[in-house]
Amino acid sequence: MSINIDEILKALSDALRDRILQTKSLRPEKTCIQVEAGAHKDAVKVLLKQDGNAGISAITGVDLGEKIELMYHIRICGTIITIGTIVSKENAKIESITDLIPGANFHEREVSDLFGVTFEGHPNPKRLILPEDWPENVFPLRKDVTAANFQSKTQISGASKDHERVSNGEKLVNIVLGPQHPALIEPEKFSLKVDGEIVKEVAPRIGYVHRGIEKAAESRTYLQNIYLVERICGICNACHATCFCQTVEAIMGVNVPPRARYLRTIILELNRIHSHMLLLGHAGLEIGYETLFHYMWRDREPVLDIMEELTGNRVITSFITIGGVRRDLKEEAISKINAGLASLKKKMSFYRQLFENDSTLKMRTRDVGVLSKQDALKLCVVGPVARGSGVDMDVRRDEPYAAYNEIPFRVITYDEGDAWARLMVRLGEIVESINIIQYALEHLPSGPYRIRVPRIVPAGEAIGRVEAPRGELFYYVKSNGTAYPERVKVRTPTFANIPAFVKIAEGGNIADVPASFVSLDPCFSCTDR
Amino acid sequence: MSFDLDFLFRVLIFPGFTFILFFTMFCDWVERKIEARMQNRMGPTYTGPFGVFQPFADFVKLLTKEDIVPFNVKNFAFKFTPIFSFSIFVFSFVFLPIDGANIIFNSNFEGDLIIVLTLVSIANFFIFLSGWSSMNPYSAIGATRVLTQFLGYDIPLFILALAPAFLAKSLSFSVIAANQNVPFVFMIPWAFVLFIITLQAELEKDPFDVPHAETEIVGGYETEYTGRRLAFLKLAKDVQIVLGAAIVVELFLGGPYGPTFYGPSAFWYTLWFTLKLLAVVALTEYLKCVFARLRIDQVLVVNWKVLLPLAFISLAAAVGVSLWFNLLR
Repeated sequence: MSINIDEILKALSDALRDRILQTKSLRPEKTCIQVEAGAHKDAVKVLLKQDGNAGISAITGVDLGEKIELMYHIRICGTIITIGTIVSKENAKIESITDLIPGANFHEREVSDLFGVTFEGHPNPKRLILPEDWPENVFPLRKDVTAANFQSKTQISGASKDHERVSNGEKLVNIVLGPQHPALIEPEKFSLKVDGEIVKEVAPRIGYVHRGIEKAAESRTYLQNIYLVERICGICNACHATCFCQTVEAIMGVNVPPRARYLRTIILELNRIHSHMLLLGHAGLEIGYETLFHYMWRDREPVLDIMEELTGNRVITSFITIGGVRRDLKEEAISKINAGLASLKKKMSFYRQLFENDSTLKMRTRDVGVLSKQDALKLCVVGPVARGSGVDMDVRRDEPYAAYNEIPFRVITYDEGDAWARLMVRLGEIVESINIIQYALEHLPSGPYRIRVPRIVPAGEAIGRVEAPRGELFYYVKSNGTAYPERVKVRTPTFANIPAFVKIAEGGNIADVPASFVSLDPCFSCTDR
Repeated sequence: MSFDLDFLFRVLIFPGFTFILFFTMFCDWVERKIEARMQNRMGPTYTGPFGVFQPFADFVKLLTKEDIVPFNVKNFAFKFTPIFSFSIFVFSFVFLPIDGANIIFNSNFEGDLIIVLTLVSIANFFIFLSGWSSMNPYSAIGATRVLTQFLGYDIPLFILALAPAFLAKSLSFSVIAANQNVPFVFMIPWAFVLFIITLQAELEKDPFDVPHAETEIVGGYETEYTGRRLAFLKLAKDVQIVLGAAIVVELFLGGPYGPTFYGPSAFWYTLWFTLKLLAVVALTEYLKCVFARLRIDQVLVVNWKVLLPLAFISLAAAVGVSLWFNLLR
């Protein structure tokens, strides 16, 4: 793997030559190639030539004062290579790469909204995060917007323009899913244009519950930020905390003790189990199978009990801290956890039979919302959505963190690419998670469960990636040598997966929209941050 | 002119309007309990003994809610279709013997089976109108689905109903029920099974609850209704369920008839009718719990390609059974 990366870096060097300004390190062991403005697109082309399956993981903007640094984090050969470039604030323009990587669409629109960079050639340069009536030339993540002047800078008129409204006389009827009615109990909006029962167009709009968490992180200490990022999403809070902490630990050069890494693995897999079970039950509800919903959620309760045993909390566990975990696992709890997991494993075989054999369930999920492998790669989807389309990617295996490099497990993939395959991936992953936890409990090393770290973090930059239940979770942290981070960037899995929903819903049936949608396991609390 | 008190009692109290209303609510409670227990839940528990008054409490609660009429609806249709569909479903009970006789004595006639099935179709059309008049995209889609699904399934329902009619040599519910020395469910069980499946679609129960799929189109034709109009719309659906089960009881399960013991036969007939009807309700509720919801195009495929041909085959088989039994005599 490292040899391959060196070859890629050499190819970049050969192709761009003196347009590479410098090479800097992003912890841990990542490379950022800084290029001239305008050369970034050529760099992306080189990367795509080296690995046709390369995709965008995130685009990070950083305010450098008079300039803005843009970093394209390209996922390639299971790792990340970052292409960085700098534009001036006065002329913040750069060429779009969406024509090369369609999955970059949302990322570019987001940076455009929050940093004010214009991506020339972007196919749909509309607002993504900010409300329609947000004042011009106010960009929240720039440093000139502060807590003190935020109110005066952002006087919102309240007269909202709805660009997705269908004009009168058109044949297509406008059907809205969300954000203000019960057909979609999530604060996001998808305008569907339907012809009879067939969906012709889908226009997503996110940002209704954007809480400015990245901005808020810049005015809190690292320890306070753990509390903050845990509440990005209640369901996968352990993943957010772990990802943030290990990114900060990478800047500090801290080595987490082995016992702590095992305990982190346990809590991460418990997170995955209960997240997947929540989703599978919800999938039943969305296709009118309420009994499945009740059964699955009933069987999820013991998982929450295990989390309570381990951490004292059932959902938002507040278990992870910088340098390790906050509590140790008592020996007597291990047998309880093992008993609960063994019981759950038996139940999962019942559910597997149900998902494989129930005729009405199959009629509603088979060949519904099909996402081909090629489209999955182009749109840069992550997690079970990608694995359900035959894309074999998993951060736990590709770049092991916590204790994953010491624990054997299988990565579950299906090739069908339909809603059923995506649900089956999660079903299989629950069993694998149980196996991982059992292995971790059996091989739990002794020793300290945390080390104390200083409040001040030395200057540096780091990237962290974690396989959350919904897919790859990406963090970028830049420190400036104080107790407050310079920049915290969060890219959640659903943010990467929403463009795929547009792809799979168009051409389908209205009734299939909830089934397709739920199979993506969307989490808008995550998405909006 | 002297009032016939017995007539009024039968029409308004028992086995007429009041009995039908409270029996409907009781069946609703039974449905909720069955569904809840199948799903590891308690169901209604606190309102009255074992929560038996919950459906009535829900109805009264809806009556007290604000009645909102969106300004751009088609007023007359929006306001009156719930009461129309409710009335038609209740009126259909006139033709069904419940305590051994019709609600209105001697009101049965040759062909009342056809009248009831036609009334059901008309009531479904009013349900369609309730959604169509709401001027809401979700209601419009729900209304279209109502029309597509209900009118489609009316055809196999009618054909399947002819099978017991043929065996009994009559198109009257009373005669069909009275002539079942052996309940027809044992003579033509395939017709019974197909009828139950078709009934599931008529009653809008899983896997056929497409017209009001709440995770797709909010509430379908119910979306814009509030307060007392919603109360009557929901009550109409509940009465329809009981009516559907009652039709099954009359056609396949021997109607109200069964062994009688000490006391007036009307009591035992009513008891038998009630027990049989509850069994049918329980069966449809069980089916609801074990299936996911289909798509409207899948519903239509099931109708035109599966149920309709099978209905014709079933009728032919019933004719064969009838001829065979005639040969035995």
